[in-house]
Amino acid sequence: MAYPSFPVIGVSDRDLGSAAARSGLALRVDELRRIAERLGRDPSRVEVRAFDAQWSEHCSYKSSRNLLGRLPTDGPNVMQGPGEDAGILHLGEWNGERYGVVIAHESHNHPSQVVPFEGAATGVGGIVRDVLCMGAEVIAVADALRLGRTERADSHQRYVARSVVNGIAAYGNAIGVPNLAGDVYFDERFDENCLVNVVALGLVKERDVIHSCAPPNAEGWEIVLVGKATDASGFGGAAFSSVRLDEGDEEANRGAVQVPDPFLKNVIMRASYRVFEYLRERKLAVGFKDLGAGGIMGCSAELCGSGGFGAIVDLGRVSAAIQGMRPEVLAVGETQERLCWVLPPEVTPAVLRIYNEEFSLPEIARGAGAVSIGTVTREKRYVLLDGGESVMDVPIELLVGTIRDELPVPVVREPAAVDPQRRWTAGERAVGELFERILSHRDVCSREALYREYDGVVRGTTVMPRGYADGGAIAPIPGSPLGVALSVDGNPRYGRLDARRAAEFAVVESVRNVAAVGARPLGLTDCLNFGDPRNPEHYAELVAAIDGLAVAARELGLAYVSGNVSLYNEAKNGNAVPASPIVACVGALADVAKVATLAFKRPGSALYFIGEVQNAIGGSVLAEVLGVRGAPLPDIAYGRVRGELESLARAIDAGLVLAAHDISDGGLATAIAEMAFAAEAQLGRTLGAQLDDPSAWTGGAVGNLEALFGEAGGFVVEVADAAAFDRSCAGVPFVRAIGTTIAQPAIAIGAERFDLARLHEAWSRPLAEVYP
Amino acid sequence: MSAKVAVLVFPGTNSETETVRICRDVGLDARAVRWSYAESLPSYDAYVLPGGFAYEDRIRAGAIPAHDPMMDAVIEGAQRGKLVLGICNGAQILLEAGLVPGTGPVRKPTAAFTRNAPVPRFVCRHVHVKLAVEPSRCAITAALEREALIPAWAAHGEGRLAASDEHLAEIAAAGHLAFVYAHADGTVDERAVPNGSALGCAGLTNKAGNVLAIMPHPERDAWEFNHPDLRSAENVLAPSGGAMLFASFAEALKDA
Repeated sequence: MAYPSFPVIGVSDRDLGSAAARSGLALRVDELRRIAERLGRDPSRVEVRAFDAQWSEHCSYKSSRNLLGRLPTDGPNVMQGPGEDAGILHLGEWNGERYGVVIAHESHNHPSQVVPFEGAATGVGGIVRDVLCMGAEVIAVADALRLGRTERADSHQRYVARSVVNGIAAYGNAIGVPNLAGDVYFDERFDENCLVNVVALGLVKERDVIHSCAPPNAEGWEIVLVGKATDASGFGGAAFSSVRLDEGDEEANRGAVQVPDPFLKNVIMRASYRVFEYLRERKLAVGFKDLGAGGIMGCSAELCGSGGFGAIVDLGRVSAAIQGMRPEVLAVGETQERLCWVLPPEVTPAVLRIYNEEFSLPEIARGAGAVSIGTVTREKRYVLLDGGESVMDVPIELLVGTIRDELPVPVVREPAAVDPQRRWTAGERAVGELFERILSHRDVCSREALYREYDGVVRGTTVMPRGYADGGAIAPIPGSPLGVALSVDGNPRYGRLDARRAAEFAVVESVRNVAAVGARPLGLTDCLNFGDPRNPEHYAELVAAIDGLAVAARELGLAYVSGNVSLYNEAKNGNAVPASPIVACVGALADVAKVATLAFKRPGSALYFIGEVQNAIGGSVLAEVLGVRGAPLPDIAYGRVRGELESLARAIDAGLVLAAHDISDGGLATAIAEMAFAAEAQLGRTLGAQLDDPSAWTGGAVGNLEALFGEAGGFVVEVADAAAFDRSCAGVPFVRAIGTTIAQPAIAIGAERFDLARLHEAWSRPLAEVYP
Repeated sequence: MSAKVAVLVFPGTNSETETVRICRDVGLDARAVRWSYAESLPSYDAYVLPGGFAYEDRIRAGAIPAHDPMMDAVIEGAQRGKLVLGICNGAQILLEAGLVPGTGPVRKPTAAFTRNAPVPRFVCRHVHVKLAVEPSRCAITAALEREALIPAWAAHGEGRLAASDEHLAEIAAAGHLAFVYAHADGTVDERAVPNGSALGCAGLTNKAGNVLAIMPHPERDAWEFNHPDLRSAENVLAPSGGAMLFASFAEALKDA
């Protein structure tokens, strides 16, 4: 090969290591040796960059793949499990068609820490392409944010917190996809490494799914690149996300972040919808995939390799934004807003015409467009040409086949059993002292100031925007009452204490949120945000979390159809972020008319608590406010969790529920307050609640503070016809009447009365300062 | 024969699908017409400019698309009395094109929907708009009741009406102020205004009353399933709420 090589053979380990570091490679010495051995020569400079991307944790899941095998990935709702750019869940049938909800879930953590606006925006851009390339219409996005301390106005953390939200808003709003769900937590351990997880949903008929794979008859087909002109941005992005942030120098890290162009993407999405229509008319199976990590090389190699083919790609045909770009930059750079098709040659001209003429991509952005760049080959090699010469020629399986870098799996200790008798609050504090402090806690207070920057209603399909119910809901099929619900969850306070339990709670919480809207949970995705897996402590947390995800999903009869692993999330001093397994749950509503919202509806209706109070207040906001350490996390009894979900679903289905709200951060009293706030804000109704003294409905099993602010979870429901609800829940031990709604702006607990306006002030103020 | 309505799609428009859908649901023959097909526009009876970020809001929201060849047909049609409805970005374009309030020459705007105040941030908030002129003042609102209250979503970063004092006075005096922001009970005060808009303005019409520019999106609260309390809905898929503006638009196009 004429192209300069990256010398490996005969170079000492020390020199090779420093050469790799100088070149900014994440590949280790043993991996470089393995490449040279398999090629029988030194790799070219293009090849070494290609392997650097493909063998990164980001692309290969090399140190998590064996663990991810523990997750359940199949079930009756699964239309497409993990393995492609996105998974698909069976939503339901309408007009004789089976509809699927496409879901993808990823992190964009390091880019968002370094350049938060662009990092977060390109996170949305990437996840939207993952859904689009399944042949789907993109119908919603969501975001889960884990941010540092934002209290100081001039802090970098506040800058990150604002810019991340600006970036998500700027991108999602411009492409016209509603932001439907999400959450945000603040913790000092995110100061130097924020987490930005994004989720996108799509809608597709089962027979219209396009796979990220060259179909069986694809030999000789064309490889068509669509989108933005390739530039030098995002060079080394895959490897960048697979090292700690301090390992690269800051300027190089900045260069690894991509530049978003939602304006161009808006047009590419619409043009792609038109191409879908064109191909469906011809009943053609083709391949379509998003360009992410590894750029043109990674995408075309995976498309062809997964179909059992090889590929020849001519870099000379790629539209380059600047002259004289080196072939390795053209090949693996991660310029945004690009997708790749594998198409039979007879339809290529028509597809190019749709992108380039009907939608005039070259006029939308300089150098943008669709162009054929290569051919699918029978020979299983991946070949890159530049100026007529081969600059890369490797066995495609070596590039995109499974690689493993497994670490010894640590023994995960079982969580300590909870002593049901022990009380951690000793009842020494009055409720009154704590209510406002809990409502104004950074993990409890109103998120409205943040999410009102997101367009939650574009497309006109929104049934429940953020803040109206525990999960978001949309009616995505015109003329059909079928609905989709979505929630994204994960509690870092739990993650700090117990990774496994945090993972289980993330699943349970997301399922409860979807159920509280009245939806039937369909399936899950997971994004695992952890520290360096070579640190045994961090690795043990990862293993424990995956076990927790597996157990919870199996117990609730759900599968994971997509997910992402993000490791190396830590500060310069090696402190990792709290274990952050973040879970999204998709639900199906057979009829959006039956959707439940969280706002109180009318005075005089009965309030019920579905769930169980526990003394275990570990990880709760209450424990944090009281400064209690060492308390265990609540226990999850899956039989009871299933019973709660069933009781709620039955009552909603029977039309007995006026309002439903899941109990999470801040506990039952917080849930009640939020239901009253929502009544005022969303329905213009002044409503409050009169709760019985907690001892009346706990039987004294736990203290009042645990009952009101504990976070074992469950639901609060407002019920119009108490007798009918009692019949519906007959024999269910964990359903209890706790009070009634009242027409006054107050929350009364026993004899204590709290003014709703004051509570609202405490709840609504904190984030309004960060997001004015 | 129902009237043929073109829903214009500029590069960056993002609300064409739901806008076409609500127009069809109220009986109009609406279709999305993309920039590459500008030459087909003169054959339509009326135009709707939907929301989005046409040409990326470069310079000012609406400034570049106001000069797009598609607007030649819209301006000519408006001058000949065709009905034109602009929503959000579409409203911004109509102001930049000088069609509303229409107190100056074409493409020489005398007012603009510009950066929200006091905080120049995008805001997505449920609002109500109240008809502030006699219904018959504007053909598109003619079938509404007096002081009709329409639910909608404000979803914009540049929705604040700004103009010189002189032009604002003219807007108020000459009946251009078609809609103002209001609370759910119809009362009007500053808290109901999501963006610091002068005169509490949510919508403007031109002198002839055939062009209407409205900032919030009635098409996003236009079906029963969009409303927050569905319990009273008989048919969750039925148009309601914001749909009333489109129904009035369709009524005005009955004889087209």
